[in-house]
Amino acid sequence: MAKVQKCSCGNDEEGLIERLEEIITSFKEKPGALIPVLQATQSLFGYIPQEAILKISEILNEPLSKVYGVITFYSFFSLKPRGKYLIRVCLGTACYVQGANEVLTALKQQLSLEIGETSPDKLFTLDVGRCFGACGLAPIIMVNDDVHQWVKPSDVKKILGTYKKQKGVNQGEVK
Amino acid sequence: MQININNKSYPAHEGETVLDVARKNGIYIPTLCYHAKTGQSAKCRACIVSVEGMRGFQTSCNLKVKDGMSVLTETKEVKDSQRMVVDLMLSSGHHNCLACERSGTCELQDACYHLGVEKTSFSDHPTGIKDESSEFIVIDYDKCIKCGRCVAGCNHSVVNEVLGFGFRGLETTIMCDDDIPMGDSTCVQCGECVQLCPTGALTDKKSRGKGRFAELKKVDTTCPYCGVGCQLTLHVDHEKNKVVRVTGREVWPNNGMLCVKGRYGFEFHASPKRLQYPLIKRNGKHERASWDEALDFIAERIKASVGEHGPDVFSALGSGRITNENNYAIQKFTRAVIKTNNIDHCARTCHAPTVAGLAHAFGSGAATNSIDEILETELIFVIGSNMTEAHPVVSYYVKRAAQNGAKLIVCDPRRVDIAHWSDLYVQLRVGTDVPFLNGLMNEILKNGWQDEEFMKNNTENPEEIKNWLKDFTIEQASEISGVPVETMKQVAKMLGEAKKVSILYTLGITEHICGTDNVKTLANLQMILGHLGKRGCGVNPLRGQNNVQGACDMGALPNVFHNYQSATNEKAIEKMEKDWGVSGLSRKEGYKLPTMLHKATTGGTKILFCVGDNTVQTEPNTAKTIKEIEALDFLVVVDIFPNMTTEYADVILPDVCFNEDEGTYSNLDRRVQFLRKAVDAPGEARPTWWIMQELGKRFDVDLKFTSANAAWEDMRRTGTIMGGITYDRIQHIGLQWPCPTVQHPGTPILHLNGKFTRGKGLFSQTNYRHQAELPDAEYPFILSTGRRLWHYHTATQTRNSIGLENIFPEELLEISPFDAKIMNVKTGDMVKATSRRGTITLKAWVTDRSPAGVTWCAFHFHEAHANILTNDAYDDVTETPEYKACAIQIEKVSDGIAVVERGFRQARP
Repeated sequence: MAKVQKCSCGNDEEGLIERLEEIITSFKEKPGALIPVLQATQSLFGYIPQEAILKISEILNEPLSKVYGVITFYSFFSLKPRGKYLIRVCLGTACYVQGANEVLTALKQQLSLEIGETSPDKLFTLDVGRCFGACGLAPIIMVNDDVHQWVKPSDVKKILGTYKKQKGVNQGEVK
Repeated sequence: MQININNKSYPAHEGETVLDVARKNGIYIPTLCYHAKTGQSAKCRACIVSVEGMRGFQTSCNLKVKDGMSVLTETKEVKDSQRMVVDLMLSSGHHNCLACERSGTCELQDACYHLGVEKTSFSDHPTGIKDESSEFIVIDYDKCIKCGRCVAGCNHSVVNEVLGFGFRGLETTIMCDDDIPMGDSTCVQCGECVQLCPTGALTDKKSRGKGRFAELKKVDTTCPYCGVGCQLTLHVDHEKNKVVRVTGREVWPNNGMLCVKGRYGFEFHASPKRLQYPLIKRNGKHERASWDEALDFIAERIKASVGEHGPDVFSALGSGRITNENNYAIQKFTRAVIKTNNIDHCARTCHAPTVAGLAHAFGSGAATNSIDEILETELIFVIGSNMTEAHPVVSYYVKRAAQNGAKLIVCDPRRVDIAHWSDLYVQLRVGTDVPFLNGLMNEILKNGWQDEEFMKNNTENPEEIKNWLKDFTIEQASEISGVPVETMKQVAKMLGEAKKVSILYTLGITEHICGTDNVKTLANLQMILGHLGKRGCGVNPLRGQNNVQGACDMGALPNVFHNYQSATNEKAIEKMEKDWGVSGLSRKEGYKLPTMLHKATTGGTKILFCVGDNTVQTEPNTAKTIKEIEALDFLVVVDIFPNMTTEYADVILPDVCFNEDEGTYSNLDRRVQFLRKAVDAPGEARPTWWIMQELGKRFDVDLKFTSANAAWEDMRRTGTIMGGITYDRIQHIGLQWPCPTVQHPGTPILHLNGKFTRGKGLFSQTNYRHQAELPDAEYPFILSTGRRLWHYHTATQTRNSIGLENIFPEELLEISPFDAKIMNVKTGDMVKATSRRGTITLKAWVTDRSPAGVTWCAFHFHEAHANILTNDAYDDVTETPEYKACAIQIEKVSDGIAVVERGFRQARP
């Protein structure tokens, strides 16, 4: 079994697993606990480590395939450590026709990343999404919980710049 | 009601779907995701039809009929749309039929055939991805159409919960656990997914290239492994005289489901190691002999010995592995020809306490209810049963019932895998079932949860038991059994409040020195709760072997003739003497198996005629058994493989196996099921009924066994509870006894409405007795024994079939993490386990299935089997050995490589 990797924020993951166990146990008796527990796990580690999947399956008494099926179905959950900032480019129909693909290309170039990859300094992860439900603002990108609207490829540099300077959310916080 | 399909009117019933009606009337509508077992899912859209007054096309697999509905299935529009769906499906992967295992039974191929689709009009997308990591199952992802039948089957039919859908959109795929290769996953390879797959995506690895479905002969028969009695179809290559593939039949009791042994453990029948010719031991070596030579020799030796010492020096063993007919043959030979009642079989080592205990309480010593009723019960109380391994198909029903909302309580010293699905797992100390159950009953009575009316009307001594149980406080029970008082109260409450409770138990109850008491106590509990004689209730022992129920039914027991007619009752004896045309049948009860063996050392037993019983490996305390076997004057063994017992035999006779003769097995819910001949027996192997007939002739007795059916009819003539079961009646599906007349429909539920076979139910007073050998400073661990999923008994069948041994190649000693830490033992290390009777060396498996102080191993592998260690202490009523508890010490021999454990639910390292 793959051991938990050191997480990007440098926190001790052993401690986090213990914290996770508490969280899973607190949800144990509630129906439909799986998704909230996975959200908590994602926030706690910044991704969903293998060890956490086994723990969730064991404590919630859900088949591994179900837990893994839910994780891989929702793009919110990640099986790989993500950077401090997750950039998601909407590729829904409205955004696409408004030039989202060009924005994506600009992001790829500036970050030297492909979709799903994380920068070596663990600052950015580039990902795409399908329709964020804000078509009036197309094309949009989301950086963590911030929405950037009517983005043009030329805006990309500035947007990235603000995050490079800023101190963002700390991982390990459960929202 | 009537509905119109293609302008023709057809009768239909409320609740049916359009597809149901179409199929019933031979109208083909392509379907891919629909299967009767996994239900409607309306996913694949291949079954679309047009319905008058409804917009667009409708999926017929989930469209309920309405009176006067008008459906069109053959219009150009409908066909074009169906064709498009199938065309798209073809292009989604790479469906090449040329070398496909499924060719001929593939439902996608059927759809293409009927719709005239030669190839996809789009480009297909082969990925070449296959998963061949599993021992028995191949996944070809290029042929997967994502219908979800395998996922539904795995999660809701057999409830092994391994397969699932992962990812989304175009990337959607079936996967095992967290998308790991099937061979590394928790898959137990029951093959349900293969059976349900409509295409060639999931196929049997071992039958690859050995014959397509259409060119093989299909023979319906009964599984030769455990007592569930699954119905299966053998796919036989006649030219090669071999079974190539096994599929489950979708009838009761298994509804198509099988376990890994039933589906993939079949090659043993064609093993070159099979016994093929009679062998006589000359100068310490077994030499080939003719049948006449061997039979003359046996007859001569029996005549000499019996002539000199009387008939009781002869003992015979029938078997829970052989057919009813063969058991009947051996018991008739022993009784009618030799004139002794010294006939027994291996129920002695497993469920004899069940037969004794339940017959005492209810008047009939068999399971009271049927397997399928598990799905209708409210609370399932499992005690002393590792059912996911020993009776996998029953466990599927239990797991499914639990999934559908039934409560499940599992009581066992080991955290057996079925506990994973339980609402409450109760860990009691080894051998403390009586005080535990008495404590529960005390609590039930204290709270007034008993069924007062049932007790009053249907039992003989209700007041007596109430008074008796007053002394068994729950606190006292808790102290002995180690179950917390609170947990006991919870169990009692759940039992008391449920309207239907079904008790399922196995050898954890019977294989103790107090085995019969344990069974009687369970009977007490159900009589107090009034859960007998109703659907979904009862006391249900899971019988271990394919035909151990039948061997009892056929009278391979020292105290009864077939159908439990007392062998010491003058009327019954006279009946048999008259029918069999003999006189002077023995009037006294015969020896039980352990007594037969003990008497060998004092000269009381001189000849043992042993059919299908590997006595040396299966009796406790092997060293002692060997001494006893060696003390015999003459040992005859009839078997299909050489084993530890044949080594000591003076004559070995080759038997036929399950698919080489016809016959019947009785399963654990009393269902007599048919076996068909599928292949020819190797060499000169002969069925036991033939051997007995030929031996009888040498004593001038014609036993009238000219075929298996003749033996059955001979039994039926004097039979009672099976008198109405004929071969003709059980061709398609078995019949449950009692079935006294040929018009009788069979009896799914015994003691209906609380009318017990013996009249009124009888409560018994049972007291706690601790195991015969308690752990002490020198031998500090308890050793318990049992069965693994991957093997069966002394493994002659499973180790001679391809693949099972690759999965589980050697025995492991299960040790708790607590004890392992103290001894510095890790999984994979070699350890020496020693009891007062012997030593075995085997690998350790550190697992939290075992509680501290308790170890466990099985008796499958002759290299290191549990019975070298087990204690020859016996239940005082039935002489069933205490396999479930003896004391051992453990010593680490050497370090080994720790095997990676991934939280396997099933017993594999």
